[in-house]
Formats: sequence, C-alpha cells, structure tokens
Amino acid sequence: MPEFWPHCLDHFQAKLNPQQVNTWIRPLSVTVTGDEVRISAPNRFVAQWVRDRFLGEIQQLAEVFYQAPRMVTLSVQEAKSQASTGPGEAPEASEPAPTAKDPAKPAKPRTRAGKPLPDEETRLNSLFTFDSFVRGKANDLARAAALQVADHPGSGYNPLFVYGGVGLGKTHLIQAIGNKVLENDPQAKVRYFHAERYVSDMVKAFRHKSFDDFKHKYDGLDVLLIDDIQFFAGKDRTQEEFFYLFNNLIESHKQVIITSDSFPKDLEGIEERLKSRFSWGLTVMLEPPELEMRVAILLNRAQLDGNPLDENTAFFIAKQVRSNVRELEGALKRVQAFAHFHQQTITVELAKEALKDLLAVQNRQVSIENIQKTVADFYKIKVAEMYSKKRTRILARPRQIAMHLAKELTDLSLPEIGQAFGGRDHTTVLHAHRKIEELKNSEPALRRDYNLLLQVLTG
Amino acid sequence: MIPPRQLILNIRPEAEPRFDNFVPGENWEILARLHDISRGTGQETLLYAWGEPGCGRSHLLRAVVAEASRHGQPAAYVAPGEALPETLAGVLAVDDVEGLDPEAQVRLFSLINQAREGAGRIVAAGSQAPARLDLRPDLATRLAWGLVLRVQSLSEADRTAAVRERAQARGLELPNEVMAYLLTHARRDLPSLLATVDALDRYSLSLKRPVTVALLRDFLQKPLEL
Repeated sequence: MPEFWPHCLDHFQAKLNPQQVNTWIRPLSVTVTGDEVRISAPNRFVAQWVRDRFLGEIQQLAEVFYQAPRMVTLSVQEAKSQASTGPGEAPEASEPAPTAKDPAKPAKPRTRAGKPLPDEETRLNSLFTFDSFVRGKANDLARAAALQVADHPGSGYNPLFVYGGVGLGKTHLIQAIGNKVLENDPQAKVRYFHAERYVSDMVKAFRHKSFDDFKHKYDGLDVLLIDDIQFFAGKDRTQEEFFYLFNNLIESHKQVIITSDSFPKDLEGIEERLKSRFSWGLTVMLEPPELEMRVAILLNRAQLDGNPLDENTAFFIAKQVRSNVRELEGALKRVQAFAHFHQQTITVELAKEALKDLLAVQNRQVSIENIQKTVADFYKIKVAEMYSKKRTRILARPRQIAMHLAKELTDLSLPEIGQAFGGRDHTTVLHAHRKIEELKNSEPALRRDYNLLLQVLTG
Repeated sequence: MIPPRQLILNIRPEAEPRFDNFVPGENWEILARLHDISRGTGQETLLYAWGEPGCGRSHLLRAVVAEASRHGQPAAYVAPGEALPETLAGVLAVDDVEGLDPEAQVRLFSLINQAREGAGRIVAAGSQAPARLDLRPDLATRLAWGLVLRVQSLSEADRTAAVRERAQARGLELPNEVMAYLLTHARRDLPSLLATVDALDRYSLSLKRPVTVALLRDFLQKPLEL
C-alpha cells in the first residue's frame, strides 16, 4: 500500500510553487499510527501557516486516501537546542495538538501586563505610577521631588523641571505625578501632553482656524505635564503661546511639570524668558541607572510581563546594556521573544544567544580608541593629547575621564589601560578612576559631561 | 583586459513580495512576528528589522503590508524618500529609516508614541542596529525599545537553492558551473541574483543559445539595455 505522505507531497507539488513546497510542506514530518496522522512542524510559524492554509486540505486528502475519516493532528517539534529548527530534524516529542476537525486557536500571545490606552481626557497611562518606578541612586532626588509635588501640587516647587538623557524614565516619573494627584483628588484636572503634539496641534488649529478650541483644552487645569520641551526649539509662535499659558498657570498656583533632554539654560532655540522661568521652581536630573538599579528594572519589568526573570540572567542583561532604560527594556523584550519563539526557558545562555547581534554591535563600539576619540572630540582637544605627557588641567581632566570610562566600559586591565594612555602606570589609572568618582559627586557639570559621554559611547 | 561588467539591478523581481515567496533562511522568528503583526495578533506594537542591503528587509515590509491589507487592516508601506503620515492607523511599514530627514524623524518619533498609545503598529527597517543609527537619539532609543530583530542574509546554500528554484520555475536548466560562475561574478544578494536569472533567461531565449558559462560571461559584460 502506498504511503500517505508521499502522496500528499505529490499533491502539493503539483499545486504550489517549489519555494512554497520547500518552505511550508517539506519541513513537516509525518507519522501515521493507527487512525491518526501526526504532523509535526519545525517551529510555531510553520505550524500556524500550515494550520491556516493547508491543514483542512490534508485532512481531506487523508479521508480520500484511506477512504475513511482520519484524525490529523499538527504540533510543533520541541526545540532541540538553539536557533536551529531547520527542516529535516526528527520530531522528539509533541505538545498536545489541535486537530483539523477541531481547530484550536493559534497559541495565545502573552499579553504585556495591562498596557491600557491612555485616558482620553488626561492622556495619562495608568501604569506609570510611583510603585512601578524603580528607585536607585540615579533618580532618588528626582523621585523625592516628584512625590512632594504630587502630594502638594502648585504649592511648592513650581515648575518642576525634570531633565536627563534619552530613555531614563522622565515620562514615567511625571506621569506618576499626574496619576498620584488624581488618586489623591479624583476631581483634579490633570493633563499630560508631549511637546511635539502641542506643536502639531497648534499648527492644525491655525490651519483650521480653530484656535479658540485649542486654547480651551488648557483652560482650568490644575496640573499641566509637558514632556520633551526641547521640541519647542525654533517654534516662536508656539513658545509665545506657551509663555502665556505657563504664566497663567503659575500665577494661579497651578502646577506645571516639564521634562527636557537638557538643563534649562542649555536648551537651544528656546526664548530666554522661557528658559529663565523654567528655573523658577526646582530643577532635578535623572541619571543613567547604575548596575543594581538596572537589575531591579529588569526584574520588575519581567514581573509585570508575567514572565519572571532569574537574577543571574537579569544581571547578565544589565551588564550588557548600560546606557538607558529603553534599550534595557528592548533587550529584555528580545530575550523574552526569543525564548517564547523557541519554547525554551530563559537562562544566561539563552540571553547570550538572543542578544548576540546587539552585543556584537556594542563590542565593536566601545574600544579604548573609541573612548579616547569621543572624549577628545567632546572636550575639543587632540586625540594625541590622550597619550601626551603634558599634565595641564585642561588636558589632564579629559584624560582622567577617558581612563575612567575605559575602566568602566572595557574589560582591559588597569596596566593595559595605562599602556594605551601613553605608557602610564596602572596607579595613574586608579587615581584617575577615584578622582572622577569623587568629582562626579561634587561637580554637577562634570557629572553631566560624564553621563553624556557614557550615553554616546554605549547608546 | 576589461573587467567583467557588474550587473546593476534595475529589474524588479517578478512577484509581489509576500510572505510565501520569501526565502526564509534563518529568519523564521522574524517571519513569525511579522505574520502576527499583519494579523493583528501578538503583542508587538513596534518591530525594527535590520540587516545588510539585499537581506530581504524591503520584501518583508511589503509582505507585512500586503498580508495586513488582505486581512482588512489599513496598511501602508513608506518607501525611502516618501512622506510619512501624520497619524497612525493599522500597520505602517517604514523602510530605510537612516534616510529620514530631520523633519521625518520627528514624524516617526510621534508615530511611535502613537503606536505605544495603541493607535496601531509600526514595522521599521534599516541597515544598522538602533544604537548605530545616525538618527536623533530619542528616535533611535525608541526603535531600540521595540522588538529588534536582525534579518540574516541567506547562506550560500539557501541562495543557490533559491536561484535554482527560480530557474526551474522558468524552465531554465542551470548547469553547476554556470551556477558557480554566477555566485562568484555577479552581485550576490538574492534580489540581484534572481533578477539576473530572469534576465539571463530572456537573453538566452533571444539569442537562441543554451545557458553556458560563456553565455553568462557575455551577458554580464554586455551593457544593460533593459
């Protein structure tokens, strides 16, 4: 008696083009036992595709072939090890599979815990709360100030100006204020908007001659949260309009909260009168999270996703991704997606495999030469000064910062680092490291420079 | 001796880019994710695909849009240089993000914010990993925030198989030595290879000569008149 599967293959070869056959049909392996035809696909994607498009047909073919109804099941081969789920691998085990007669839905995607849409009126995302905001040295002051403002809006720090590099949690922090204000007083009128949205809404309002409606949106607010104010740069009309709104709110003791990528005075393309007003209240900075905090962020995020992470893996990921929270969360997402696709549990080994492209990119980026060049460019000195013997302060400080970054970002030993800086002794590197650590605490300007350099090099 | 003329790709592959005419190679995972996005299933609201030119990024983006439309979702593909929409709805595919001018970068930034607010889904593609993109940092980090996947170029074996299939589909016999010559002398990314096979077939028919290394050599040296 001829076999069923070769018959099936013939059928599909006549019907589909060779590429389709190779992609969807050939990778399937089939065993027939008793009344059951068990098909197993090398991965979920092929399984889903076959289920959607071909399973019914295979079912019919089986009925005709055996001249009796047959149960056709489709399952995904259990992954053997890593990425290789190519065609030709023998099935080892099957998960309970839906039959063609009773096609179950494709595997239900894990939902990211909640992720509700922002509230229409306030534009706040209810997931951004103080509880879900991971604390650490890098954000302690900003968080304390934000809590203070949330509990006493309009009465103390007004405006609250939060600044810091990209992806450090500015939006989360200020939306947490908005959510807390509403929790304390559900009647409060709170509104969040992104500066870019404000600009484009205003342009639209002009275009449609609906400027009064536009202004009306901001009437009677108790708390105004405006994100990424640097988007106002060069938009004079927007700045003028915002100037009046800002003054009105402050004069009526309504709370204004602003975020930006830089210190108010350093904002480019923003009118002086606005910049000086931004400094009236309290200005706080968010810094890149330190290692412990990055680990905590990952554990927290994974928990929220309903897919807890073990500490070793969190530690591994946190060590690789240093510059900002967004990339950290992106890396976690990559690891989770990889594990989900290959149906494996998350381990350090798996994380390594999932992040290999990301790590290749980063390792290429942070070389000691790259650090020296980036720091030299930043301080507008020659790269050669990194190796020179001169010890004037204007050269020594950047050199120390570069040594410190080299110690933080590369795996080189201290003697190797000293060697790369014109054959200096390892104690010089150690001294530079301690000095910069100390200055980071006492000189905000240096800390800002350092953080910026860190982001450029790792981001 | 004049070096052999390199074929310039100005021929479109014949078929509309779809998932089922994409040669997957090692790109199963990204296919699965994009498939989810086109169906409105799965959880990703932003996916960034990167890989070297010719790896199939544009094919995948067009395939997502085609599949999403087939499933009744609003979907649009934005080719390099085309304007991005102001508001997001359904599935938006943005190709070659490194070519976006400053204004378009702000627009994409805003569209990603809309995607995070649940307005739709974005699939973007570029030739570099997010951290190496020369874009405004708030945009580059937002791309890194989504699911970032690398599109792996096909292995030589997969490329050979794909070329053989294309030839077979055209009823063209490709001897091994012709195949070897093709892979060492013509552009080796898949779209170029497939286009070469198509053009070679027409060339061989027009001259009524069988496909041999000599014919292929003539063909590759011949100025393009397409």
